[in-house]
Amino acid sequence: MAKITVRNLTKRYGSATALNNVSLEIESGEFLVLLGPSGCGKTTLLRCLAGLETPDEGEIIIGDHVVFSSKNNTMVPPGKRNLGMVFQSYALWPHMSVRDNVKFGLDVLKTPKGVADERLDQVLDDVGLAHLDGRYPSELSGGQQQRVALARLLATQPPVFLMDEPLSNLDARLRMDMRVELKRFQSDTGATTVYVTHDQTEAMTMSTRVVVMKDGEIQQISPPDQLYRQPENTFVADFIGMPRINLVELDTVDGRGTCFSNGDIQIETGWAPGVQKVIIGARPEDITLSADLNTPGEDYQISAVLPNGPETIIQLMRGQTVMIVRVGHDTEFATNQTVKLSFKRQSLNIYDAQTGVLVTPPDIEVAKAG
Amino acid sequence: MSDISVPAHGLRSRLHRSATDPVNILMLLLLAVLAYLVLWPFIQLTIETLTWSQGDRRLSRDAVPGEFTWFHWLQATTGPLSTKVLYGPLINTMITGIVSTILALLAGGVLAWCVVRSDMPGKRWLQPILTLPYILPSFAIALAWETVFRSPKVGGQPGLFEALLGTAPPEWLSYGAVPISITLAIHYFPFAYLLVAGALATIDSQMEEGALISGAGRLMILRRITFPVVAPAFAAAFILTFGKTIGQFALPFLLGAPTQYHTVATMVYANLALGLDSMAFVLAIVLIAMSLVAIWFSNRFVGKKSRRFETISGKGFRSRTIALGAWRWPVFTAVALFSFTVGILPLILLGVQSVMLIDGFYGLENLTSHFWFGTSNPEIAFGEPGVLHNDIILGATWNTLKLAFISAVIASVVGLVIAYISVRRADNPLARALDQISFIPFLFPTIAFGAMYLTLFAEPVGPIPALYGTFTLLVLISVVSRLPYSVKTGVTAVTQIGKELEEAAELAGAGWGMRFRRIIMPLASSGVLSGMMVSFVGVMRELSLIILLITPSTRVLMTVGFGYAEEGLSQLSNALVLIVAVLTIIGELILMWIGKGKMARLRDKQS
Repeated sequence: MAKITVRNLTKRYGSATALNNVSLEIESGEFLVLLGPSGCGKTTLLRCLAGLETPDEGEIIIGDHVVFSSKNNTMVPPGKRNLGMVFQSYALWPHMSVRDNVKFGLDVLKTPKGVADERLDQVLDDVGLAHLDGRYPSELSGGQQQRVALARLLATQPPVFLMDEPLSNLDARLRMDMRVELKRFQSDTGATTVYVTHDQTEAMTMSTRVVVMKDGEIQQISPPDQLYRQPENTFVADFIGMPRINLVELDTVDGRGTCFSNGDIQIETGWAPGVQKVIIGARPEDITLSADLNTPGEDYQISAVLPNGPETIIQLMRGQTVMIVRVGHDTEFATNQTVKLSFKRQSLNIYDAQTGVLVTPPDIEVAKAG
Repeated sequence: MSDISVPAHGLRSRLHRSATDPVNILMLLLLAVLAYLVLWPFIQLTIETLTWSQGDRRLSRDAVPGEFTWFHWLQATTGPLSTKVLYGPLINTMITGIVSTILALLAGGVLAWCVVRSDMPGKRWLQPILTLPYILPSFAIALAWETVFRSPKVGGQPGLFEALLGTAPPEWLSYGAVPISITLAIHYFPFAYLLVAGALATIDSQMEEGALISGAGRLMILRRITFPVVAPAFAAAFILTFGKTIGQFALPFLLGAPTQYHTVATMVYANLALGLDSMAFVLAIVLIAMSLVAIWFSNRFVGKKSRRFETISGKGFRSRTIALGAWRWPVFTAVALFSFTVGILPLILLGVQSVMLIDGFYGLENLTSHFWFGTSNPEIAFGEPGVLHNDIILGATWNTLKLAFISAVIASVVGLVIAYISVRRADNPLARALDQISFIPFLFPTIAFGAMYLTLFAEPVGPIPALYGTFTLLVLISVVSRLPYSVKTGVTAVTQIGKELEEAAELAGAGWGMRFRRIIMPLASSGVLSGMMVSFVGVMRELSLIILLITPSTRVLMTVGFGYAEEGLSQLSNALVLIVAVLTIIGELILMWIGKGKMARLRDKQS
């Protein structure tokens, strides 16, 4: 299979920088998701890997081959990179039947007819389109078109799959089913997969690692659970999670540097982050509310209760500070009620307010090493 | 691509890559070829007018062949014959051009409104008849006019007018400015009609309904809302129509030359016939200048506004039609009468006349099928056999179809390639240059363009042999003259093909040639095929463009027909024009069938 290495990749469009010195290692067989808001450079990076864009600087190695290098004047054309791609629009050829669409790649490789037919039957059967192989793309539903795109990718058995928001044109239910299927095909083939999306659920559920990008730069590369628990900066913390993480800016109030406040609320970190101003990040589900006013913690007033199926979102106020908390659906909290708020210290992330970068406490370092 | 910050090695690799890119190679090749076929002929023509030629020894004792001279320009502008050769024809061209354009626009505008915005009945079958005069060869209408208004004063048999009324028509009605303007208007009003109808179809009725709600009357809406919205299209139609009329040659020649009424275009032909090549070329340049000024006006004053309308087409929002009420049937009758008179009557007249043994005698005993089926008879028409027995005509038919077919195919494919380059490489200045250069032939009045090719390929240049008198030359000029249209068709087609469709094929490893063949061509085929058909019909009825380049071995139907008309063998020329008319109508029907049938379904699939 194929490992992908990206070194110091830069891509500019006129004066705008789409990719700024991006470096990345993708392990063989990995399902890597590129995640970020629109315009962050994730699609540009994917297209550079595919060879559809020519970067300005840097190096890309796929498997054993340097496919792009600005130093050596190497630019391997897309068709010679041995990869397959699913486009956001599927890019099915409207004038070819399902079978011909899937066959095209085999034609280019001049696969003998017998072998090609066998392979086609196999692939069309795998994606469940064997009975529709004479249809034209316009005669298929969105989900079926998606499967044709997938079959086209699978037909030539490339060791690398590139996917550019392949599920974004499907309705919510179908998207769920297709996620499972995509994942299955990926693990069956063992192909190294790079998957672009702006949907974090997709990123979290499918990936082995997630790359979060912003303004052409990589913000964080982590497995999904770590991305959620330990966002490395306030951008990632804010971008990941729905409802959003609570981010509160606080000042040191004592000489030890472990107690912070913004006038409304006060937090004792238990260790010294070593900066004057911090931003505290607390996930809505890591906060515990209690109606019993004798429990320790600060008093908050409930300003809104928003039931949302299995969970209920509660908005709290203390002075000017707003907090969002996620509780179970069977809650009995009501608007204007006063409650006590508490949290586990370990679940808080502390960021340097100046740089927005995560400040890691010593004990977590130990836990990570273990 | 214009990045200054790119390091030197990056630039070099990019240069290397672009030098091996097949699209870039094709682009440079096409640029070079088109520069030679479009720009160089114009320069060559200009040089020719500024140089003494061998033949000039007859005209001036100072002539030193090959040397520079202002002689031809001075002779045209200040010489003793300048009024007859330049200024008179110039004024005539302006008069007939402007009058016919105004008439064409009036007719086209009113008809467009009736068809597009009113609830007039019978639109479906009136519309094709209304476009008939434009798809017929232009001098068919001139011949039909002659059939009716021919005046014995200039010789020959009397026309239908005299046969019916007993008195000869006044000369101004037979020849000169009046008939030329009217027949030009009849030929070009469908062109104006199509342009205005296109603009009218883009009017959202909500604009008018808004005015209706605020209490405006029907006339006020027409004046304050509808007209201002289509005004730019009107202005554009005016200039485009005018530009086309001034390049017309056969029509003004047939209706003007008998009484020495010349336009610049006919003067080019007349001078060449007299062997005064350099003078003809000066006039050709004058004609081009007129066309350029017209186009410049169009871009300067209406270009930006009218472009707004071009982009909206076929979007198909429902526009409310306006009820004519009691006027419904009178309007229909008027439009139907008009379309019959300009679309069908001329063909009937030509048909009737082509079966008359002696022209001008209207009676059953005078009917003959000789001009269609007869064999050579020395007593009739100088022994010319009927058109269906005539080897010259059979050869010309074959030549016509061959020329139209080959030119249409080449023009469409080359047009698609140029369109592809200019759409997909829009950020490359060379691709833009290619797009622009392919549009230039549109600016050349056709007879002037023909004159250019007369000089360009008269002698061998380097590896290019002398092409004068060859079929290849006719194909070349036909292809180049169709390029502005075929590139436009191609651009529309390529723009509709998503870039990802091609990228998907690129990822599968398909090279550019394979992508073009298997993705672009099939997907563009519906648009390109109808463009090809338009070119086929266009080349088939073309005369002004090639009249100067034809030799006996390369005759086509139109030039043979024109030749007969020039010799006064009107039955034969009528029969020929009818043949061309029938072929063109068949072509148009195929085109309509393509538009509605299989290809339309394919187009649906793409969307």
